[in-house]
Amino acid sequence: MSRPSDERLIAYLDGELGEDERAEIARWLEQDAELRDRAAQLSESAALLRAAFDETLHEPVPERLLAAARGEPAAVVDLAAARQQRWRRVVGDRRWWAGMAAAASLGGLLIGGGLGYFAGSDPQLHGGVQPVASTEPPPGTFDATIAGYHKLYVNAGPEDTARFDVPAGQKLPQDFRVPNLKPWGLTFQGVRFLVVGGQPATQLFYTTDNKALGPITLVIGKTTEPDLAGKPGQSGDIHVLRWRHNGHAYALAGSADLGYLWNLHNDIAYQLDAI
Amino acid sequence: MSVGFNDQLIAVLPRLRRFARGLTGSAVEADDLVQAACERALSRAHQFQEGTRFDSWMFRIVQTIWIDQLRARDVRREDAEDQGAHIGTDEPKRRAEARLALEEVRNALREIPAEQRAALLLVTVDGLSYKEAAEVADVPVGTIMSRLARARIALQAKLDAGAGLRRSTSDVKAE
Repeated sequence: MSRPSDERLIAYLDGELGEDERAEIARWLEQDAELRDRAAQLSESAALLRAAFDETLHEPVPERLLAAARGEPAAVVDLAAARQQRWRRVVGDRRWWAGMAAAASLGGLLIGGGLGYFAGSDPQLHGGVQPVASTEPPPGTFDATIAGYHKLYVNAGPEDTARFDVPAGQKLPQDFRVPNLKPWGLTFQGVRFLVVGGQPATQLFYTTDNKALGPITLVIGKTTEPDLAGKPGQSGDIHVLRWRHNGHAYALAGSADLGYLWNLHNDIAYQLDAI
Repeated sequence: MSVGFNDQLIAVLPRLRRFARGLTGSAVEADDLVQAACERALSRAHQFQEGTRFDSWMFRIVQTIWIDQLRARDVRREDAEDQGAHIGTDEPKRRAEARLALEEVRNALREIPAEQRAALLLVTVDGLSYKEAAEVADVPVGTIMSRLARARIALQAKLDAGAGLRRSTSDVKAE
């Protein structure tokens, strides 16, 4: 066999060759330092290319796309797009936002925290942008959004270690309080920053060995809407239980039955003084 | 249309966005493309064959729409990502350098011909096999192999020319 061409070498690196040809190229690589260098270069540029686009996988998916995937009307999609773009201009980058979150404390999880940031109450933090969601989206849309975010991260799978902005065990803002749901058999896995209703929100992710109950996600954001007692909803096979208290909106999501979510809601509300 | 169809669509959105971002070179255009693909997929859900790969079917829709768009108009190269939002002035130098290296890779990719770029994104970025990528692109496996090789060689040359590999991959990953 003559010296492998770049095309064969690339196919070899991609694992696309048959056994015989693979062995032949392996022999060439053993004896040809120049070919080894070429293979290393090609591998490195491929790794760089993957790294260049990996962050897209871990960005929050814009609501307009979740809405489009659910087949919602164009008007809703366009509004969400406009909100998303405005938010992008202000926020720029999730890391910056994460830093801001650490500095400003996390909405409903504050212990005596004074600065809310979810609803644009601080014009300096929000670059003068006014809250865009003066009215709450229709309940079906909200439930579907929460359920969509729930599925998105459940489907990401445990091997996707970058799916959390702050994994469990890593340092959280000093006044960040995570509801302890261990008595329910739920283990906290991490925090993810999202955009819901055009506003930043925080998603807490819990898993359990009991597949009938988990995983469970809890989304917390700020709202200008009045308090609301627990209200159940459903999107596909995901149950959503939402409530509002004292300027914060909460939504529990999971495939567990509503009775279970209701009990969790009571416990979380008690722990966070959110009822 | 089944509930499962919407769920599958939502689950594959991050990968579709990554593919579209690579094709268009623009965050906004990529999301527009994915949105159009979702709408088309929902309108043609009956054409999806159960038992076949849903992600490949969606990649194919994204690529088809993108090619249609390329044919219909000149694609603007203006990129919302280039507005500097990702490189904060207070970022540590090392991270900023890594970001620059990755930006260099994205810029290099944009200079690669469209069909080669698509092959590169499907195989090298998304990890599809040559056969799967060939099905998405609706071309023979040999064509994918050839497009991919040309793309990888071109990318390598552009990065070498721009010293894009001055940083090691491990450094970039450490980002």
